[in-house]
Amino acid sequence: MKLDIGGNETFSISRQKLWEALNDPDVLTRCIPGCKAMTETAPDAYRVEMQLRVAAVGGSFEGAIALKDKEPPSVCTISVSGQGTLGNGKGDARFEIVELEDGGSRLDYSGVGEVGGLVAGVGQRILGSVSRNLIGRFFTGLRKELEAAPGGKA
Amino acid sequence: MNAPSKPFRFVSSNRRVREDRRFVAGKGRYVADIVLPDMLHVALVASQYPAARIVSIDSSQALAADGVHAVLTGEDLAAATDPLMNGLDTPRVKRYPLAVDQARYSGEWVAAVVADSRALAEDAAELVRVDYDPVAHVVDVEEAMGSGSPLVHPAHGTNVLLDKTFNWGEVDRHFSEAAHQLDFRVTWGRNSTVPIETFGVVAQWDPWAEMLDVWASIQMPKYSDQIARALRIPLNKVRVHQDVDVGGSYGVKRGIKHTVLAAHLARTLGRPVRLIEDRLENMRAGDAHGPERIFDVSVAYETDGRIRSMKMRATDNVGAYAGRAPFQLGKPIGAIVGPYRIESVRYQARSVMTNKTVQEAVRGFGQSPTNYAIETAVDKVAAALGMDRLEVRRRNFIESDQFPYLIPSGTRYDSGDYHTVARKVVDAIDYKALIEERDRLRGEGLLAGIGIASCLEPSGGNSSFEPLLNEKNETTTWMDSCRINVDGLGYVTATIHTTSAGQGHETLTSTVLGEVLEIDPERIQIVRPDTLSSLPSNSPVGSRMAIMLGGAAFKAAEKLKQQLVAIGAHRLGCEADDARYEAGAVIAPDGKRIEWAELVNIAHRRYHDLPPGMTPGLEATHIMQVPTGGKLPEDGRVQMYPCHSFEFHMLLVAIDPVLGKPEIRRYVIGHDCGTVINPHIVKGMTLGGIAHGLGAALLEEFAYDAEGQLLAQSFMDYLLPSSHEVPHVEIVHHCTPSPFTVFGQKGSGESGYLGAPAAISGAINDAVRHLGIGFHSLPIRISAIGDTVAEASDTLKKD
Repeated sequence: MKLDIGGNETFSISRQKLWEALNDPDVLTRCIPGCKAMTETAPDAYRVEMQLRVAAVGGSFEGAIALKDKEPPSVCTISVSGQGTLGNGKGDARFEIVELEDGGSRLDYSGVGEVGGLVAGVGQRILGSVSRNLIGRFFTGLRKELEAAPGGKA
Repeated sequence: MNAPSKPFRFVSSNRRVREDRRFVAGKGRYVADIVLPDMLHVALVASQYPAARIVSIDSSQALAADGVHAVLTGEDLAAATDPLMNGLDTPRVKRYPLAVDQARYSGEWVAAVVADSRALAEDAAELVRVDYDPVAHVVDVEEAMGSGSPLVHPAHGTNVLLDKTFNWGEVDRHFSEAAHQLDFRVTWGRNSTVPIETFGVVAQWDPWAEMLDVWASIQMPKYSDQIARALRIPLNKVRVHQDVDVGGSYGVKRGIKHTVLAAHLARTLGRPVRLIEDRLENMRAGDAHGPERIFDVSVAYETDGRIRSMKMRATDNVGAYAGRAPFQLGKPIGAIVGPYRIESVRYQARSVMTNKTVQEAVRGFGQSPTNYAIETAVDKVAAALGMDRLEVRRRNFIESDQFPYLIPSGTRYDSGDYHTVARKVVDAIDYKALIEERDRLRGEGLLAGIGIASCLEPSGGNSSFEPLLNEKNETTTWMDSCRINVDGLGYVTATIHTTSAGQGHETLTSTVLGEVLEIDPERIQIVRPDTLSSLPSNSPVGSRMAIMLGGAAFKAAEKLKQQLVAIGAHRLGCEADDARYEAGAVIAPDGKRIEWAELVNIAHRRYHDLPPGMTPGLEATHIMQVPTGGKLPEDGRVQMYPCHSFEFHMLLVAIDPVLGKPEIRRYVIGHDCGTVINPHIVKGMTLGGIAHGLGAALLEEFAYDAEGQLLAQSFMDYLLPSSHEVPHVEIVHHCTPSPFTVFGQKGSGESGYLGAPAAISGAINDAVRHLGIGFHSLPIRISAIGDTVAEASDTLKKD
């Protein structure tokens, strides 16, 4: 089934710092919900291992993340594909970081994905809210990460 | 009809169903109760894609996991077995239990993992890494027929499995003569029967006896034949144990791919292997899915409401393999005009593959969808002429003095009295008062509608549709059997040569035998020999067992009675023709009698007292041919089933226009299945059938998204009717005996289901007609009613 995501998130750190954080595999590993490991396989390409649960369906997933069409420090497209025994998914999301007048930054993102397998069949009713929840958890983690980092504005 | 002149003692009487005792007490013996020493368990790896080439399968991690004994792929299995049987002549549509090279629907089994427990097998199944290369898929049946469509089986060259047009009678002339005609399209959604027990099988191979033993939750004709063929072993090396209770079926307990898979694993691993589907496996890749059909219908009719002719094109989405589905377009040919005097019919049957789960047999074998299309046509004729729907039906009914009645497609209906059954229902429900009640509800601001459906239940399960749709198939018998043995102590034991899925065959057989032999049915033991000890049976399909097993038991009992009379007459010194049989005793014209115990004693011990030439012991067997069966089709016409039960539905539905939720306020069904053998069984079938039909009409659908993913694979999304939806149903009985059966009985295993969807759809359409809208596809969901009604109300307000 098809899945649309989109939204924006405001940070108190500068555009440059946010850009760096979003390009740092270690930061992402800590912030992506259920992410166990993220290994660089080529420049801007990573292999990820995840452990996720959607409704009654939980399991491990292996996936690939690629960053494309980069325009530092503001625009980037992320391609994600993954599969596990319980489902598969792929999608493209584009994000853009906008500088704010107060020195902070805003991340605008939108994307489409397609999910298949058991996760789609059993979890379809809640997949939309689950994806919003996962994205929310990602940003919560990211915010915590950036606040804890030295130099981040508290 | 051979009905005895005296009134029935046990047949039709209020006797409890003997199987119910063990079921109610929770003491049935199901396949999950079969636990063999050293038994291994199977879990399955399912395809996540509707269409994908299997690039590679890496089993190494799974094989290294705890308790894992084997991982089997489709490639391995295909090398060791033959493709599963397919009744059509489509050799390039090959089907194996596991996908070979390519997965063709989401959920299709790609590999099987065998471990010490099901839990370990499931854990290891997650470790099997399948590398897929997704390819284009198609789920829409009309798209699948288009020239640019992806092919489900490229080797077959098309997605069309069957496209056959029959012309019965002068369709074109009747269409040109008739004063009016109308066309419409209705769609039947993919639904099923969803038994509580999923399919399960236990297989064991004994290399020293060279014997495959199988216990299964099965309801399928020629099951062991198909196992033997697929495994390339002699049929007398396959022993299916039939003393396993089947926890519900109505067609969907096919299980051949499960069985071939488990049997192959048992043979190669040298251990018993058990495969029991979980609900997800059952819903997405078991044999759960029924017909999904588009009907394009035209009818030609006169101003007085008489329907002269019908053109029907049925396009069936059968999913990814041939399965049993194409024949579900064939059986309805035997009742293609319903209970009506339609003079001619053109019928086009199209069976088309898509990347969906394989369609298998479901209750009615295609008849309920067809009845829905026919009944919609009748309602539309009534609406077009501004006539009452009941009156249009009455004007088209076959009259009771016209039986046996030959319909254009070659079947002769046995008997019926449709007017009387309809009148009984109209009286019971008080049709005039029902209309007033409907109008009163409308006055209160509710949507309210009356639904009417009259239809037939062809019964006595033959397989004439096989030669009709596939000329290479010459099957003209679909026999069933019974053997009676009276032991040396005088006790009676009789055999059933199939499993049962709750139809009460033990009650049926003992009641029939008790009736003929005039002994208490409770004292008759009924057993189910394994298939190697069995006489031919074609299993309980097509509402056939009252007719076929009941008939075989009757005939065997008559033979046994003849033996008893011969023994008694010889001992009494009179002619057998002069002696009579009464409640186990043989009585000479002079009143002298020999009791049961002595007759048995003579047969088993006193050879010197037996009539010359008679063999010792007391045993009788009858293998019964389907009444009226036995001929190949001629000119596209064939006698399909022998008997035709009739049902007449009438109901009142009320819908809150804001919520869109239909509520059935009153439901009466008139039912005529000839002589009823056990009233409880018939009642249970009818009530369950209406609940099942309600599910088809309003709730149940194996829905797919455009990406080919099955969205309704748990009971959260596949909605079954519950006590909240199922109304109180009143049954009105009528009995028109069949001239072709031993007691005048007809079938009733599909009753209720065959007309309920049509009737409920009719009621909802009656409720919304004044809004200028209609619902032409099932299920009619609450959301569809709510949205469509809201939209129509807005439009009306604007105008």
